[in-house]
Amino acid sequence: MWLTILFLIIGVALGLLTDIRIPELYADYLAVAVLAAFDTLIGGIRSHLEEQFDEQVFVTGFFTNICLAGLLVFVGVQLGIDLYLAAIFAFGIRLFQNIAIIRRILLEKVRYARMKKNSKK
Amino acid sequence: MKRNVLISIAALLAGLMGTILFQSNQAHEERDSRDLWEVRTEIHDKQETQQNLYTQIHEAEQKLDEYQSQNNKERIELLKESVQKLKKRAGLTEIKGEGIKITIKPILVNSDRVQEYPEIPPELLQRLFNELYTYGANDIAIENERIIQISPVRDVNGETYVNNRPLPSVPVEISVLAEDAKELMEYMQVSKVNDYFAVENLEVQYQVDFHLTLPAYQQHIDLEYIRSAESEEGGK
Repeated sequence: MWLTILFLIIGVALGLLTDIRIPELYADYLAVAVLAAFDTLIGGIRSHLEEQFDEQVFVTGFFTNICLAGLLVFVGVQLGIDLYLAAIFAFGIRLFQNIAIIRRILLEKVRYARMKKNSKK
Repeated sequence: MKRNVLISIAALLAGLMGTILFQSNQAHEERDSRDLWEVRTEIHDKQETQQNLYTQIHEAEQKLDEYQSQNNKERIELLKESVQKLKKRAGLTEIKGEGIKITIKPILVNSDRVQEYPEIPPELLQRLFNELYTYGANDIAIENERIIQISPVRDVNGETYVNNRPLPSVPVEISVLAEDAKELMEYMQVSKVNDYFAVENLEVQYQVDFHLTLPAYQQHIDLEYIRSAESEEGGK
């Protein structure tokens, strides 16, 4: 868990220090890719807590989600429809659901630890 | 352990991408890429504008002083004088002076094909007026129509109307008053607008005239839809 947060901070620091900027044209692509990455990340943490983590599912999910989201944006741009909204919508909902589940699991763990402590006394 | 590393790497990538997106969305600061000469020219332009404004303020203040210091009768005289002056500036009086006379003639080509009698399109006329004003024309009249600041030049059912009256067919005469008529004529003789007229089978001839008389604008000026311009630069 701490390693994840540490790496997240390292990633942010790297981004800030390298000062990479992408053209405005591709901002939509990156926005959706970021959302897909966060979705996979949160999903991974959730399955990790649920003890259902599968490395292959995680790795393939990470890259396919990003590619698929990018493709959706591309098709949307070609057709003149804001299809990236669909990706944002789907990932957003999943993000919230996963975070809710993570919250519940953590709460359960905290409660369980407390109960254990109390019973020891 | 391996799964922790995988999740961490995903976190690293997500963080990196998020930061890049954040930075890209930050407003780019507009860089001032002017060199010293451009800055200097701009300062000079601004100073000139300032000077002009000071002169105008000074004139207005002088007028105000005159209004205030005189008795009633003189005041009325002065007001009348001011009104007359303003009317002259607005183009409501007949005006005489030195300027150039422009004649727009048709170019008739000797060919087998049937040639239409050329007409002056409104866009071309507007372009000509703009060019004239750019090179120092003060007052313009086309045939008997005085061009004032709100004179419409437009296409009505295929005919060119100036001041809501149809323009007679070519040849048409345009009288232009300018402070330096010769300079204006020299500028206009090499102007590109001549080529555009030639495309429409029209020939433009310029001639300096020292005794031009421009008619007054005869119609009612409707200022209902006039708004003051937002920009700081005032046109002529």
